[in-house]
Amino acid sequence: MPVEAALARLRAGAPEAALAALAALPDDHAPPARHAAIGMALLALGRVEEALAALRIAVALGETRPATMLNLALAEDRAGDAARGRALMQELKRLLPTWDEPCLRLAESLRRAGDASAAIAEYEHTLEVNPRRAEALLSLAALLMQRHEPARAQMLLLRCCAVTPAHAPTWDALGVALMLTGDAADAESAFDQAQRLAPADGTIALHRVEASMAAGTGEAELARLEQAAAADPLNAALLAARGTLLMHLGRRAEAVAVLEAATALAPDSPLATQALAHAMVAAARVGDAIPVLRRAVELAPDDAALRNNLAATLLRGQQHGEAREVLEGLLATHGDSLGVLCNLTNALVSLGLQDEGLATANRAVALAPGAPLAWRAMCNVLAYHPGVTGAGLLAAQRRIGDSLPRVPPPAREAARPRAADRRLRVGLLSATLKTHPVGWLTIAGFENLDPARFELVCLGQPPSEDAIQRRFRAAAAEWHVVDGEPTEALVPRLRALDLDILIDLGGYGDRGMMAACASRVAPMQVKWVGAQSHSSGLAEMDWFITDRWETPPGFEGLYTERLLRLPDGYVCYSPPAYAPDVGTLPALANGHVTFGCFNNLAKITPAVLAGWAAILARIPGARLVLKAHQFADAATRTRLLAAFPGIDPARIELRAGSPHRALLAQYNEIDIVLDPFPYSGGLTTCEALWMGVPTITMPGETFASRHSASHLSNLGLPDWVAADLGAYQDMAVRRAADLPALAALRAGLRARMKVSPLCDAPRFGRHLGEALRHAWRAQCAAAAAA
Amino acid sequence: MQTTAADPAILTRRVREMVDSGRILAARPLLGALKTLAVPGAELAEIEAQLLLREGRVAEALVVLDIAVAAAPEAVGLRLCRADARMRADDTAGAAGDAAEAVILDRTNPQAKAVLGVALIDLGQPLDALACLREAVAADPRHPAYRQALATAQERSGDPDAAAATLAAAIRLAPGLVALRTTAIMVAIRRRDFTGAAELAETARRDGVADACVFGLLGHSLSSLARHVEAAEAYAEALKLAPEDPYVRHLVSSAGVLPQGVRAPSEYLETVFDGYAARFESHLIGLGYRVPGLIRAALLAELGLTPDSPPDSQPVGPVLDLGCGTGLMGVVLSDLPLRPLVGVDLSDGMLAEARAKGLYDSLLKQDLETLLAETDQAWPVILAADVFCYFGALDAVLAQVHDRLADGGLCLFTVEECQDDDGWRLGRQGRYSHARAYVAAAVARAGLELATLRPEVLRWEADAPVSGLLVVAQRAMERGGDAG
Repeated sequence: MPVEAALARLRAGAPEAALAALAALPDDHAPPARHAAIGMALLALGRVEEALAALRIAVALGETRPATMLNLALAEDRAGDAARGRALMQELKRLLPTWDEPCLRLAESLRRAGDASAAIAEYEHTLEVNPRRAEALLSLAALLMQRHEPARAQMLLLRCCAVTPAHAPTWDALGVALMLTGDAADAESAFDQAQRLAPADGTIALHRVEASMAAGTGEAELARLEQAAAADPLNAALLAARGTLLMHLGRRAEAVAVLEAATALAPDSPLATQALAHAMVAAARVGDAIPVLRRAVELAPDDAALRNNLAATLLRGQQHGEAREVLEGLLATHGDSLGVLCNLTNALVSLGLQDEGLATANRAVALAPGAPLAWRAMCNVLAYHPGVTGAGLLAAQRRIGDSLPRVPPPAREAARPRAADRRLRVGLLSATLKTHPVGWLTIAGFENLDPARFELVCLGQPPSEDAIQRRFRAAAAEWHVVDGEPTEALVPRLRALDLDILIDLGGYGDRGMMAACASRVAPMQVKWVGAQSHSSGLAEMDWFITDRWETPPGFEGLYTERLLRLPDGYVCYSPPAYAPDVGTLPALANGHVTFGCFNNLAKITPAVLAGWAAILARIPGARLVLKAHQFADAATRTRLLAAFPGIDPARIELRAGSPHRALLAQYNEIDIVLDPFPYSGGLTTCEALWMGVPTITMPGETFASRHSASHLSNLGLPDWVAADLGAYQDMAVRRAADLPALAALRAGLRARMKVSPLCDAPRFGRHLGEALRHAWRAQCAAAAAA
Repeated sequence: MQTTAADPAILTRRVREMVDSGRILAARPLLGALKTLAVPGAELAEIEAQLLLREGRVAEALVVLDIAVAAAPEAVGLRLCRADARMRADDTAGAAGDAAEAVILDRTNPQAKAVLGVALIDLGQPLDALACLREAVAADPRHPAYRQALATAQERSGDPDAAAATLAAAIRLAPGLVALRTTAIMVAIRRRDFTGAAELAETARRDGVADACVFGLLGHSLSSLARHVEAAEAYAEALKLAPEDPYVRHLVSSAGVLPQGVRAPSEYLETVFDGYAARFESHLIGLGYRVPGLIRAALLAELGLTPDSPPDSQPVGPVLDLGCGTGLMGVVLSDLPLRPLVGVDLSDGMLAEARAKGLYDSLLKQDLETLLAETDQAWPVILAADVFCYFGALDAVLAQVHDRLADGGLCLFTVEECQDDDGWRLGRQGRYSHARAYVAAAVARAGLELATLRPEVLRWEADAPVSGLLVVAQRAMERGGDAG
């Protein structure tokens, strides 16, 4: 019988051959059986709709064998009338109660339809009919794991392993189930078996890595993977697993290298590509990570978390415009989610679109009113928003502080008295103890703390060759890497360091660790530079380092912390040796004044642009140079130029980012810096001054609005501080009209700054030490009185 | 996980890129894959050898290269790679051979000529090197490293003007390479052109290519020009860029910015002299360096020896030469019956020079205080020629010397003298000087008897004499019956 022969081929796993043989038969050859066989072959080939047509014909012609009926049911279920398909399966089940196939197919149909309870019941029924039916064992176990019943799942999977001992997914599933009950060592054995059966399977290899980390056998697994890779050098899964394991072990540079090798061998592997991207992000290689993440998104286009990661990395890589597009796309396709909304808020803030940012932050807060992340996004907008008030920002900051979870103190903890005059152990908590505004503005102060009175303990990012990080390392007695670990783990570790004072230098910024401060890790906690836009709003933050220009008398109510006012400025600038020499006043050669602002675009709000446009309108010929990373983006440039109606666009120059020395050199083309408001320049103002360019500023109520006022006052230039927008604009016009005065100021500014309190590191270090000691004594006195 | 990059050509290119850009951790796991996929041959061997060299596994690289060169003797890349490996293995002659072979195989290859030139410099044939390097530069004028090597050859062959001009051209070509700046500054310093050196360093600073070394050399130059305030600023900048470097820290403290240490750190000495060894002698002798001769004369007088004592007379020894440097004491003592002669120094570079003289019976790389603490030997003679200028307080080291001298043993040493202080002080070039009264008292406190303490001119600097003290101290003979 030719039809029987074709079916035999089909059963032997050769549907193409079966179909070819059936197609070669004459039309009049046993039509019902032939159509049925054709339908089965098509179904096996995944051509479900054609299969459905053929099977319907067969049944219409009188073909009623159970196999045909079941195939019709499957085809109906997938491509036709699903209810009819399931009804057929039920009918077959009733007619042939000892046949396990209809129950299994019905269970699978229900599982696909999302009816887990009904599916579980059908799988259980299948196993009553045939206790060794592997598909039922495996699928039922998977459903039970989803319903948090891993122990039952394990029993089923052990049975399944006995039935199909050579089937890798079964062993893999057993390992996953064992991980869910915390049996990492047994899970490792199960994954080992799975990996022997499917050595090129990346998922299994990664599961095994997770198990080894949970079982504490990471180093042994690493050695095993190295050996295995040597024996099987083309196996990219082993390299991907090794790279992932190196990541878990904190060896990021090696992880990146090994994962690069894995992707070189398997450029189309989503697993290896994602692992490489994550390792690069963790290793702070943002620029390298972005194209890899783009590739990962290409390979797994439906992965929303991956897209959000791409956007977050684009934000770190200063590609805010593209980040915004990705995030808005995600919201359109996947709806509101907290992480996406917060990232979008930050993208909009960075683009200077504070109104849009505020609207998005409000969506985030509405979605998750108790989430610190939502309030962090809100505070991030408010600090830059033209409508901000000191009290308003404080209220929002308090919401972050209040919403952070607290890790309870250990039971035995009794505040033991500490001597007021002891050598103080001072912890510096930040992922930015390096070439970063935090580094430039604090390192000279720390270097000049009296080592006999203070012992510095850095709590920061992994060691690198960064020039300022090396200075922190040289100044510190200890360096502890704290890097992305969960707060519950970080808090006990920091508490065990027995610090007297903790200075937070990260705030709520990217990779900030204020969550640890909320759980109090030192008897005295101090907020200093590092996302220090205003009060932390955190009840556990005791002091806030400031000065009398940043927080004049009367500002105390805008802060939850006690104000620790240093006698000069609140920071000490450490100018780079590579700064170019100061040039002559460019206006003298140009014949017109050039204003400049090299601050981050986040600070350049529409209100700021309008204020500047009015100045340009009053000084014909004057030019304005703005410089920010975001100007690499054409849409952003167009939007900015449109903010100067009536001004010849040739008078506005928008420059993208450049290496630091080149940025400094460009101040030799600027006569006067216009400070943004309400978020003033901090380090940027110091750099402009070092390059001989004074800044016109307009302080407000928030801490961030007053940086330039503090720096200028410390240089003896308080007459560059304007009380309001009108005074600011008048000052710009007046200063621009007196080139000889500008030229003279410029010529002497660096020498003046070098000896001013802003750069006098020994003086600053002395004052910082005295202030910390004063605060510590007050803290001790309060503790003694309590 | 599917391997889709099984194309050996693509993978070979990627691995080569990785090796060339120093991504050895990524290249290493791929080499196994490459060996499975690609046809074995010269290219694969070269990649493997370069990876091994980058990993510091020179001996293994040489094994790979020897086999590959034997199989493909005409592969220029392999020859050049082996020349590199042989240079690293201190087989300069072998390296020169490979480079010469590469030049013969490909007369137009500038890299081959440059490698040969560098090897010839190391072989002490600067004039031959000069010819090779000129050709290399002519063939590839855009390669700054060739020019840097040419400058070295020019300087070695006695033409520092040409070296300076070559380096100036190289700096114009590659203004961002700090190595060219430091080399040029060093050339100027060796010519004692401190004004020129300071200008070069200042230009490097203005161009934004100054590292800690440039600022350190700037400080040195300014200090030699007696511009001490500016020197201190330069040293402070150097410290910002190399905050963990004890040598720089020492320079800063010698410039008066940081509190003074008791002695220069061992790392300082090692760094200074490793960088200095090759020209240490000519520099010092060119400066009219008198210390070895002074010590020799004092030793002859104390021991009653004459240069024409019979060579078979009973030698005095062993003799310990603390801080032996390039072995100048060995040179001046070589005709005297003083044996065995043991030298100790911290600097590999210095010890290599001393070893090359073949005059010491043993040479040890160790800190001299550690050696004195650990040696069991009782020494009849201990020498410290121009060594205690790296110590502030002398008490500890003289006490150790006392303990290690044999009964009646002699210690001969020199120090630079300071006039305006009762103790010692740290000078601006990182050297300590000592007051005469302090030295006498320290010798006495150590339990030694002062046999000689007299002022001497130690050397001339910038045509001015540097005055110092020559000291001979003796451990008293044990009196009988004291032992208990």
